[in-house]
Amino acid sequence: MGASAALDCDAELMLRVKDGDGASFALLLGKHRASVTHFLYRMVQDRSVSEELAQEVFLRVYRSRETYEPAAKFTTWLYRIAAHLALNWLRDAKSERSQERLDETSQGAPARDVADCAPSVEQRLVHKVKVDEVRRAVAALPDKQRAAVLMHKYDEMEYSQIAKVLSCSESAVKSLLFRAYEKLRMRLVHMA
Amino acid sequence: MDCPIKTQEHTEWLLDYAAGRLRGERLAQLVGHAETCGDCARFVTAQRVLWNALDRWEPEPVSMDFDRRLYRRIEAGKAAFWIRRLFCPLQPFWRPAVPLAAACLLIVASVMLHKPQAVIAPVDPAVRVEKIEPEQVERTLDDLEMLRELEVTADQGDNPAKSL
Repeated sequence: MGASAALDCDAELMLRVKDGDGASFALLLGKHRASVTHFLYRMVQDRSVSEELAQEVFLRVYRSRETYEPAAKFTTWLYRIAAHLALNWLRDAKSERSQERLDETSQGAPARDVADCAPSVEQRLVHKVKVDEVRRAVAALPDKQRAAVLMHKYDEMEYSQIAKVLSCSESAVKSLLFRAYEKLRMRLVHMA
Repeated sequence: MDCPIKTQEHTEWLLDYAAGRLRGERLAQLVGHAETCGDCARFVTAQRVLWNALDRWEPEPVSMDFDRRLYRRIEAGKAAFWIRRLFCPLQPFWRPAVPLAAACLLIVASVMLHKPQAVIAPVDPAVRVEKIEPEQVERTLDDLEMLRELEVTADQGDNPAKSL
């Protein structure tokens, strides 16, 4: 029910964008900006690249407004563009990228504050180490498995929707996720 | 219910159960099964640990100027679109003319560049003979005239009375 309501809402906004309503585009942007950028960030693990790709996603959405048809859920379409861009970027950068870059990024990234009460230096360090471990474990997954896990875990997408985004069957997505989580469990089991 | 791990069927139920997303009848079935199945219970526990670990990874907040940059790109795209649109109707007319104009330009340029320093006309022996012949004849006639005068002078020298 909630999903169909969301479909109607986003698709309706997009149809208004199609009619030249810029404010509806701003609403869509405000609603999905963070989730798309965060998905891309977790995919490519580089903040500037993720924002650049996210800009490209919304630019493509805007440019496609005239040909837009609400055939599928708006978020399916949106994530399909995002996943396509991320997978292409990862493929192109694979030869250049190395584990070193990942390490550099994680070292260069500012330490995130633990929410609520002020954490001690030791707590912050432990948290950072654990987050880095999670990042590495996710980065070690094959690109498609990573995309599936991120959409399933962080965007709470249904299997059918992930299947549409990744252009594969629902059963393929289920087995993709099962294998991906298995790998992650093996790497992160000690984090209990 | 059959064990999802042993049968490898409905394994997604275990994932959803660990994530707290399983609802209704399926949830009741799995809860009942997990109470008696050690493998499934262990799977769910490990998956919950993983789920919590993944929750720790919060992404960086989106840049404040994200929208401003995006709208700038949209505006730039609009300007480029209008430029294309302005020139688009003319395209069918001027497009075929471009290679033609280029070819003409090439020919003109090659003609202008290929300017010989001095034109040397081919020497036709017949023409040359024609040019020289009247002079030779003239000179020959002059020579004959001179000879005739000489002969006259010589005759007068031998017989002066004759010249008188």
